This record gives sequence, structure tokens and C-alpha cells, in this order.
Amino acid sequence: MEKSFEDALKELEVIVKELESGNVELDNAIDKYTEAMKLAKYCSEKLNTATEKVNKILTENKELVDFEVGE
Amino acid sequence: MQDKYMKISDLNTYIKNIFDENPYLKKVYLRGEISNFKNHTRGHLYFTLKDDNSRISAVMFYSSAMTLKFSPEDGMNVLVEGRISCYPAQGTYQIYVDKMEPDGLGNLYIEFEKLKKKLSEEGLFNPEHKKPIPRIPKRIGIITAPTGAAIKDILSTIKRRFPICETILFSSLVQGENAAPDIVKQIKEADSGKYDLDILIVGRGGGSIEDLWAFNEEIVARAIFEARVPIISAVGHEIDFTIADFVSDMRAPTPTGAAEMAVPTISEINNMLNSYEIRLSEFTSNLLHKAKLRLEGITSSYILKNPLSLYEIKEQRLDNIIDTLNNFIAKKIDNNKLVLDKLRSSYVLKNPMSLFEVKKEKLEFNEKTLYSNIKNIILKNEHEYKMLINTLKLVNPLGILEKGYSLVTKDNELIKDSSNLKENDIINIRLHKGNVTASVREVNNG
Repeated sequence: MEKSFEDALKELEVIVKELESGNVELDNAIDKYTEAMKLAKYCSEKLNTATEKVNKILTENKELVDFEVGE
Repeated sequence: MQDKYMKISDLNTYIKNIFDENPYLKKVYLRGEISNFKNHTRGHLYFTLKDDNSRISAVMFYSSAMTLKFSPEDGMNVLVEGRISCYPAQGTYQIYVDKMEPDGLGNLYIEFEKLKKKLSEEGLFNPEHKKPIPRIPKRIGIITAPTGAAIKDILSTIKRRFPICETILFSSLVQGENAAPDIVKQIKEADSGKYDLDILIVGRGGGSIEDLWAFNEEIVARAIFEARVPIISAVGHEIDFTIADFVSDMRAPTPTGAAEMAVPTISEINNMLNSYEIRLSEFTSNLLHKAKLRLEGITSSYILKNPLSLYEIKEQRLDNIIDTLNNFIAKKIDNNKLVLDKLRSSYVLKNPMSLFEVKKEKLEFNEKTLYSNIKNIILKNEHEYKMLINTLKLVNPLGILEKGYSLVTKDNELIKDSSNLKENDIINIRLHKGNVTASVREVNNG
């Protein structure tokens, strides 16, 4: 399953904090850096390529149909 | 020359003074209906109070109006408290309102306070029940009317800030008698787990306390409390507080505010991502720089530059060890030699005869002791023997015969009773000297 945006962002935050805590060995730090940059790229792409969502409304028959606000 | 015509302003000021000095007009209480209501941009309220036959202008300045617990509007019946004075510029008198509350709604306020107290005591408003609102929601549910300002504000705000978020409207009545059960039904539907909602916004636009009343109903409060999806309440205006606001996980002042709390803006997140990337890069290059410096420090050390010195140190160390070992062994040998010398020079080894002499003395002593012991035993036994002989002499039956007694036997059995004999039995009689064989002539049993 594809990673959710929120999960990826959380992971990214954790790695940044971990690295900044200074408790990571060099080899490990480089791996984590690579991983974090991947996550950042993933988040950024996901955010900027996501399409605008159409509003839905739940009908009496429990169906979701497109919804436009009337003026 | 005196002019008999007054200035209008003088007259109006004079009349104003009459109003202001009249004690009955300093505080009056009125009941009436609001009409021509105007909320001035500067916050002052202007309106007319009327009943069936009369009307009076009214003004409520911002300082008083900000304490209002409801939104006045045309057609609303109110109770007001204020003073009567004149507005000289227009030559009108009016009531300057200090306090105003809805008429006939006293019961609703009492109900509101009662329910608020009850639910508060039950702990429904406690902070530990407040669920966190997800920072980046994928899908948001909205419970409100499908028409009107509220849904419009919410959807346009979400579209503007975070258009990639999905929204589902669970349309509901938001005023009138059926509103509360309808809201409850939709909360339960939205919370059923079928829609995978991250946040639920429950609310409506502004209105009178009666309009908002559904959000003060106990069933709505409990449905909000029991929902698993975090709920943002957005009922009416900033000044309207409902029970739903107290029990929800977060209260928004308006529907627009609720949408702002629910979603971030895309640029906010982009900024955050950028700052992470910068922090990561800076940190990592810093880390590499430090590691490089450390490596340089190590490679430039004396040992690595002069590997032979490493060997020299080992050589010296080996010598030291050999010296220590030699010293140790020499010392050990010396010690043993000392012990040996000591043994060699001992008295016994030098005078072995002394050992023999001691033994000889001991042997002689033992011989003497043995001899005297044996002699004693012999003497003692001799004495005991003599004693025994004498005793024997005393008890020897033959000794008794010596004194004249005889022994009668028959068939080698000693006869002590005449009843053991009968006539003509052959008996043997032993005397001190010699034996007689005889036959029994007569038996007299004693």
C-alpha cells in the first residue's frame, strides 16, 4: 500500500529530530539523510500533484454524489 | 435689542436638560419588539422598540452591546433597561440602552445553564476527552444545512487553503424541533466508520438563541461526546456559545474558522518541507565536516606517520619483559639455594649418631619398665594361686570324708534320700580311705 502523506511527513519529522539529537553514527546518519530527502521529495510531489477534490454529499439513499453549493 | 427667536440648538439643549434632570427618566425598563435594527460598523446598535400602539428610538453603544449574549434582530421581543434622553441634533428623544435580553427566553437560559452544569459535572467537557485534530486530514465530514452561508463558507475556505482534501456533506436540519434528532442521526452516520473521516465539522450560521437551540440539546451533546471522529463545532458567531461547543473536541468561532482549524494551507506545508530539507542538508554537511576533521586529526598522528616507532616501542617492551623474567627466575633460584643451605647445616644431619642415641635411651627405658611389670604380674598371680588352693581345700568333698563322713552312690548317682533305695539295691560307699560295695537290708523312710 502506498504511504499516506501524513505518515510520510511524520516519518520525516522523526528523522530530522533524531539526526539533530546527535545520537546517530555517521554511516547511519547518511542512510537516514538519504531516506529523509526521499520522504521530503515524496511529500512535496504528492502535495503538488494532488488534484482538487470534488465536494460530495450523502443522499437519502446513502449514496455519495457530487455537490455544488447553490448561490 | 433682544431677539425673541431662539436658536434650535438652545431649545433642544434645554429640553435635553429637562430629560436628564428628571429622576424618573434616569432608569426605565421597557418591553418591546425590535424593528429597523442596524448594526453600525463601529459597533453601536440603532433600532426602534415598538409595541402595538407606540414606538421609541433606541441606541445601544458598543461598550454595552459587547456584553450581549445574543444577536438582536428585527421582530425579536426584548426586555431593555436604560435612560431616556434627547439627541439635540435631531430633536428626538430616545432610550439609551444599557442592558438588553430576549423576552420570553428566560426559560431557555435556565435550561441552558442547567444542562451545562449537569454535563460539566459528568465530566463531558473535561480536557482529557478532547481528541487531537489531525494536522493534515484527507477527508472531512460536514454536518450542516446544504444551503446557506455556513456550508458555503466552509467549502470555499477548504478549497482555498487545501483543495486536495475531500469533503462529504451530511446535510441536516439545523433549526426547528426536528433539528436535534436529525443532527444526532447524521453524527452517528458520519461516525459509523463507513466514510473514513479524519475530522467532522458540526455547525450552522448565526441566529437567535432559539435558532441555535438544537446545538444546546442534550442528545446532540451526547452524540458529539460519543463520536470517535474528532469534532470541531462551529455554531453561529463568535459570541454564541452552545453546549455543543463545550463538548466538542475543538470550538471554532464561525464556520469559516472551523474550516481554517481543520485544514492547513498548501504553502504552509511546502514551507515546512523546505525547512526540513534545509535542516537536513545543513546538519548532514556539518556532520561530514566534523567527521572529516576527526579523520584528518587521526591520520596526521605521529604513530601513523612513523610506523617504525610502533615497532621500536614493541622491541623495548619485549626487552623489558625478558629482563623482568630473568630477574624473577634468578631470585627464585637464590631463594631455593638458601633453603637448601639451611637444611644442610642442620644439627641432625651433622650428628646422625645423636638420633641413634635418643632411640637407644628410649629402648633401655622400655626394657626396664617391661621387666618390672612382668615381675609384678608374676608375684600377683602367685599370691592369688595360694589363696585359691586354700579355698579349694576348704570346699573339697574328699576333705569332708577325712573328717569321717561317707558318700553313698548307686549306679554312680549320689544318694541323699532313703526313698531312692529299696531292699537288695547294690550301693557303693566311699570312705576316706577305700570303697565298700554293700546291699540294702532295710529301708526306713525318715
